[in-house]
Amino acid sequence: MRIALENFTKTFGDTAVIENMNLEIASGEMLALLGPSGCGKSTTLFAVCGIHRMDGGRLLFGDKDVTSVPSQNRNVGVVFQNYALYPHMNIYENIAFPLKIRKDNKKTIDEKVQEIAELVHIPELLDRKPIQLSGGQQQRVALARALVREPDVLLLDEPLANLDAKLRLEMRSEIRRIQQKTGITAILVTHDQVEAMSMCDRIAIMDKGQIVQLSTPKDMYENPASEFVAGFMGNPPISFLDGTVDENDLRLANSSQSLPLSSNISLPNDGETLRLGIRPEHFQPNYPAKLSGKISFIETQGREVLYDVTLENGDVLRSIQSSGMPHAIGELVTWGIDPDKTLAFAANGSRL
Amino acid sequence: MRRAHLLGLGFMAPALLIVCLFFLAPVIMTAVFSFTNMSSGTGISGGAYEVTEKTVRRLPEHGFPEAKAEMLAQDVYRIDPAGLTALGAGYGKALADEVGKSLSGKTFNGRRDLERALKKMKARPRSIREIKVAADLFKRSVLNTRYETEDAFVAAITDLDLKLDTSERALLSKVAYTGWTWTTENYELIATLPSTLRAAANTLTYVGFTLAFNVGFGLFLALATFYLPGAQAATFRAIWILPRILPPVIYIMMWKWLTWDTGFISSFLSNFDVTPRNWMLHSDINAWVSIVLINGFVGASLGMILFSSALRAIPSSMLYASEVDGASRLQQIWYIILPQLRWPILFTTAYQTLSLLTSFDYIYLSTDGGPGSSTEVWALYTFHTALNNYGGALQYGLGAALALVLVVIGIAASLVYLRLFNFDKLVAKPRIEQ
Ligand SMILES: Nc1ncnc2c1ncn2[C@@H]1O[C@H](COP(=O)(O)OP(=O)(O)O)[C@@H](O)[C@H]1O
Ligand SMILES: [Mg+2]
Repeated sequence: MRIALENFTKTFGDTAVIENMNLEIASGEMLALLGPSGCGKSTTLFAVCGIHRMDGGRLLFGDKDVTSVPSQNRNVGVVFQNYALYPHMNIYENIAFPLKIRKDNKKTIDEKVQEIAELVHIPELLDRKPIQLSGGQQQRVALARALVREPDVLLLDEPLANLDAKLRLEMRSEIRRIQQKTGITAILVTHDQVEAMSMCDRIAIMDKGQIVQLSTPKDMYENPASEFVAGFMGNPPISFLDGTVDENDLRLANSSQSLPLSSNISLPNDGETLRLGIRPEHFQPNYPAKLSGKISFIETQGREVLYDVTLENGDVLRSIQSSGMPHAIGELVTWGIDPDKTLAFAANGSRL
Repeated sequence: MRRAHLLGLGFMAPALLIVCLFFLAPVIMTAVFSFTNMSSGTGISGGAYEVTEKTVRRLPEHGFPEAKAEMLAQDVYRIDPAGLTALGAGYGKALADEVGKSLSGKTFNGRRDLERALKKMKARPRSIREIKVAADLFKRSVLNTRYETEDAFVAAITDLDLKLDTSERALLSKVAYTGWTWTTENYELIATLPSTLRAAANTLTYVGFTLAFNVGFGLFLALATFYLPGAQAATFRAIWILPRILPPVIYIMMWKWLTWDTGFISSFLSNFDVTPRNWMLHSDINAWVSIVLINGFVGASLGMILFSSALRAIPSSMLYASEVDGASRLQQIWYIILPQLRWPILFTTAYQTLSLLTSFDYIYLSTDGGPGSSTEVWALYTFHTALNNYGGALQYGLGAALALVLVVIGIAASLVYLRLFNFDKLVAKPRIEQ
């Protein structure tokens, strides 16, 4: 079911956490709300499921205005960050709870619980209490409880934040599998860009209560709308070089070096400051626009190695290369940049 | 013994001392007293032997022959050697010899007969007054005479020549004894007296209703304030704690002021043509309602505080989850909140049962068991019996027995509750998990 937020505003006391947000999620789509902690992701999610009242704007499910529909009647499934399982009920009762409230008959409940337990791979755990389960199992139970009454919308609030690395990887694909199998419209709240990119059809990246860019993962990585987005997307992260425009070159700050600028960039006037974003995979030994610096840090990641190269003005560029070319810390290197792959930002952070 | 054990014992020593001094010792003393018939009549030290009008009246009830009891009460004068010696010392040998010769061995019922006989003596004293005093020397009645030892008493009785057999004499000694004795009578009384039955029923009513009010109302207050905005909730809670921190005497004074026949309720209702009355003591129902409310408003705050903190320990996401799962407020309370308040509720119930069983302070201050004895609970009944009643006849022994019954019930209830709580488990693990 399509979800649309129109001019959504939320205030806590005097502080407006969200102002005039607009967001539309297509039916069957999985959208990530991505942003740093405290930017208002959970607040948005809680407004969609009706736990928080909206202070302004409208919320539509399909074509129906549900702004003032209480959360009990919105038919949304929510997975909370700490799972919020009911400790006094066993797993079966936890999953059956939404159906029991809805007064389904015993037989229907039993069938549905078994079915959903199969889907999330926990049919053998139904007799246990939540406290007897591992984090990953609790996660699956929470998912089952959210899905069991076939909600119109599935909302996930940082569902993987409390899991260890291996489980996180497993549950990432698991949640996506279940979402695609059920074809449910889903919103995933996360602060982890890898999660957002790997699980979702589109990403809405948020900063201070605003959606700063809404796009597919690939597009957002390649065409970030602002310095903030560029800095948020990508692991290892992008590095930035400051300088001033000198005809078609960028003269690096406090440095004698300069770099040619791409012709794709709508250049500002000479003498204005500009910030260049260079992703680690675009700073390589054989690229044309050379820069010299000293290797200041090496991180071996197995298949690849990450180098920090400190330039003479103190700025740091990151380079990721396949391992096999041994370099040592302190080594002087002259590696190159592909000017067409660089991202240029104005002083206010907007993309040029 | 390891040092750690000694250290542990050292830490426990003050508590053990206090338990011994303020719990065990009183309980043992109570148990001892409960097997005596101590009362304000017997005193708590030893007694003497004395036949009084009351003894005479009570004797037949114990199976003592009525005729012999009557004789005990009579004024008997006998001319015996002891009397003659005394007479000789007081009024001269001449009179003593004369009386001895003519009257020796004779018995007179009442002083008047003896006086008449004495007046016939030649060596008789001059004045009538002296004759009366002389006659008293032959008085051989035991009535209203205190004998410090049983031997002296038995000697005096034997002197009376009532022809008592051994069992009758033993019975007489027992009834005439004014001190306390060992007995199991108190427990028989408790089992049979209608007033103890009444007190037991009253206690059930009191504990039952007050407990229900305390826990129910405490729960209601906690839930109500839980859903209220913060500042309002805090004010509300503070108001309900006021009765608890008010000194009991002042708190009860205010209740009395509220319910007197010239008090607030009466004055207010007189506007609606309701006859003024004492709203606390007008009827049994009035008294019970007052007592449950008086105790309840004080007790509910404890439950309210416990439940409120337990409520706030429930993660808010769990409540959100139940909301999006479709649960209404009532369903949320019923399915999510109450099950998680199970332990605080059980604890409050247990704790309050125990304290209500033994508490009578607010009842004592408000109705003092009235009207009649319709609100006299076991503890207050005990207090009245042993320590404070209008007649002034205080029955320490019976009171001690009553108190001991309460102690036994209290200990039994504690054991049941400890069992129910599985106390070790309760302390070991938090009951509200994430
Ligand atoms: N109940 C609340 N009362 C006041 N402020 C709140 C409340 N909930 C969230 N906030 C504030 O709103 C902002 C956004 O919070 P949230 O949506 O939880 O952020 P996140 O993106 O980390 O999920 C934060 O600054 C937070 O302090
Ligand atoms: Mg959050």
